[in-house]
Amino acid sequence: MARISIDPITRIEGHLRIDVEVDGGTVQKAWASCTMWRGIETILLGRDPREGWVFTQRFCGVCTTVHAIASVRAVEDALQLEIPPNAQYIRNLILIAHALHDHIVHFYQLSALDWVDITTIPKASPTRAAVIADGVGAWEGNSSRTLEDVQNKVNGLIASGQLGIFSHGYWGHPAMHLSPEMNLILFAHYLQALEFQRKANQVVGILGGKTPHIQNLAVGGVMNAINLNSLATMNMDRLGMIQSLLQDLIPFVQQAYLVDACLLAASYPEWFRYGRGAANYLAVPDLPVDAKATQFDLPGGVIMDGNLGSVRPIQNWNDQALRSAVAEDVTHAWYQGEGPQPPFQGKTDPDYTDFHEDAKYSWVKAPRYDGHPMEVGPLANVLVGYASGHPLTRKWTDDAFKTISSLRGPNLTPANLQSTMGRYLARAIRSAMLSDLALQHCQLLTANILKGDDTTYNPPVFPQSQITGVGLHEAPRGTLSHWVVIDKGTFSNYQAVVPSTWNASPRDQQGVPGPYESALLANPVADPSRPLEVLRTIHSFDPCMACACHTFDASGREIAQVKVL
Amino acid sequence: MSTSAGGGPLRTCVVGIGNVLLGDDGFGPLAVEMFRCRYECSSNVEILDLGTPGFDLAPYLYAADLVVIADAVHAQEKPGTLCIYCEDDLLARLAPLRLTAHDPGVRECLARLRLTGHAPSEVIIVGVVPESCDLGKGFSPSVMSTSSVAVDNIARLLVERGVDCRRRHAPVPPNFWWLSGDEQSKFVALR
Repeated sequence: MARISIDPITRIEGHLRIDVEVDGGTVQKAWASCTMWRGIETILLGRDPREGWVFTQRFCGVCTTVHAIASVRAVEDALQLEIPPNAQYIRNLILIAHALHDHIVHFYQLSALDWVDITTIPKASPTRAAVIADGVGAWEGNSSRTLEDVQNKVNGLIASGQLGIFSHGYWGHPAMHLSPEMNLILFAHYLQALEFQRKANQVVGILGGKTPHIQNLAVGGVMNAINLNSLATMNMDRLGMIQSLLQDLIPFVQQAYLVDACLLAASYPEWFRYGRGAANYLAVPDLPVDAKATQFDLPGGVIMDGNLGSVRPIQNWNDQALRSAVAEDVTHAWYQGEGPQPPFQGKTDPDYTDFHEDAKYSWVKAPRYDGHPMEVGPLANVLVGYASGHPLTRKWTDDAFKTISSLRGPNLTPANLQSTMGRYLARAIRSAMLSDLALQHCQLLTANILKGDDTTYNPPVFPQSQITGVGLHEAPRGTLSHWVVIDKGTFSNYQAVVPSTWNASPRDQQGVPGPYESALLANPVADPSRPLEVLRTIHSFDPCMACACHTFDASGREIAQVKVL
Repeated sequence: MSTSAGGGPLRTCVVGIGNVLLGDDGFGPLAVEMFRCRYECSSNVEILDLGTPGFDLAPYLYAADLVVIADAVHAQEKPGTLCIYCEDDLLARLAPLRLTAHDPGVRECLARLRLTGHAPSEVIIVGVVPESCDLGKGFSPSVMSTSSVAVDNIARLLVERGVDCRRRHAPVPPNFWWLSGDEQSKFVALR
């Protein structure tokens, strides 16, 4: 029996430690521990709810936009305040562009190197690679000339003896088995992704005024002025810019990213057998298309025990079952308190004890849905959509399955997605869906403005009485909820239940592990000193341990430690 | 480097990085706001509080001529020490894998931009060693007193490189929106 402790996990956002017990080459037990305190909500207490979003978007450097949106939605929910259709569409476009940026970065910059061994690239034939790439898709960035350029860059890096930022990969690991040509194709797209993530960001910047930390939100709508005759406001020029950025970006998502995810899926079919996780899934509806938020372009729902037939759709944000089902358990988290607490009554009082696997071992609380751990994120999103017959989800999922079998990969059903590889694939499927929706919402906004509607804001009025609200958002990493209590016009409680809290949750009162912990069980580990397989499963969730302290480390210390105990 | 008619760099960015909710970690945003209030630059100079940017940093570094980054810096020196690094200083050290998207970020961002041929011509980091990065505590005295010197150094670095950057006759009142009224008033003396 070997005990492995990886602290911190690299290529994620924030600080995460994973401990696993390995016996006979597979994981028998696992613990996920967040090593940074996330008590940032306390800073909101006593503040004006109209400015809450300005602070919440500084929780974290990656998910800034999502916390801003969830905050204004929570206050609007408490006030029962509708927002104008223009504001819905502008927010939706920001959310979509942000999500596309996030998913592209995750697939290429944060996780591709778990599967792609760049040190084999010098052996690749760019001509053969171009033929392979041509056979699977229409992406224009696959010419043998382009691939040869990329190969020369990698040759240069290797010849210089300094792999730089790539020097810590698990190169030559036995679980890496793509051909040199495939590695070349995927790494070429890794570099191209840097260009395209910029375009997604520019859309956020045009609408939000700035990224990170958008400036255009308000409780009650958005602060974008719309005037087709003014150069300084939202006009046809700006709308045209957004449309053309999206038209550049979308082919990369649908022809390069999604196809690359299918290539990985076809090449690593064994990874559909590992990493199943909690097998309970939660997604909330998002991209509202009307002022009252009664109709949504992305569906929500709950699936229990991996049984897709049992899906319970969540029609809208007023779903009472959802609102009463969520509670957070701190039995194994470094906070004071007994038993599960609903977020409105939630507290964030620290009780640090050091790492005790049988007692407290994480700064992450354990959110539960009617007492059950839930996985959130693109996999939940796609499963809920597929199971409830959502046409766009079905279209892109079926399309991906067809591509994978044409690549002589496995014949998949939606149930197979409940796995490490399934999460990568689901994220790419969701990105392809979001690309279609981006254009659709751009058209909705344009059409509404051309109709003569230039309203973007309904002013909020705060009562003296106590009110409560929930702001829901299906963020790139999954269901995000902000729970607010407002007393005489200021926040008296603020709790954020974030996607990575659901997924990285520690065990609960009953000792039931969280999704990361259960997903690691039976995961293979070929070489305990290089636990690449553990990283694959953890990275499949796209961890973001919110609100890390941002300081620059000039000392060049070793960052990750893998201890085999 | 592309140069303007006056010989200075064409596209210049002065960016502050850091989490304003975590005490001295907010040094970057503090420094750029103080800089904006004390100095006036020509329109080819962008001055931005980028907060905690992660991968959002790349667009600001992309193909720029000169980038000055104000940031809290973990170094061996005493809290409050001003540390100025050029890009070679960063690359001379062992480059570890990026720890978080908020964390180093800068080095990885530069390395990737270099690989794709879009790195900025020159990058300078103006850093201060933090004393405390605790939640919501405002700035410690050592960082506060260095911030003024740091800001004048940003201006000196720009002027040395031919950027049009002049001290204002009358400083603009700063907007440290994340600080309480008490905390804000401590900076009035520094203006």
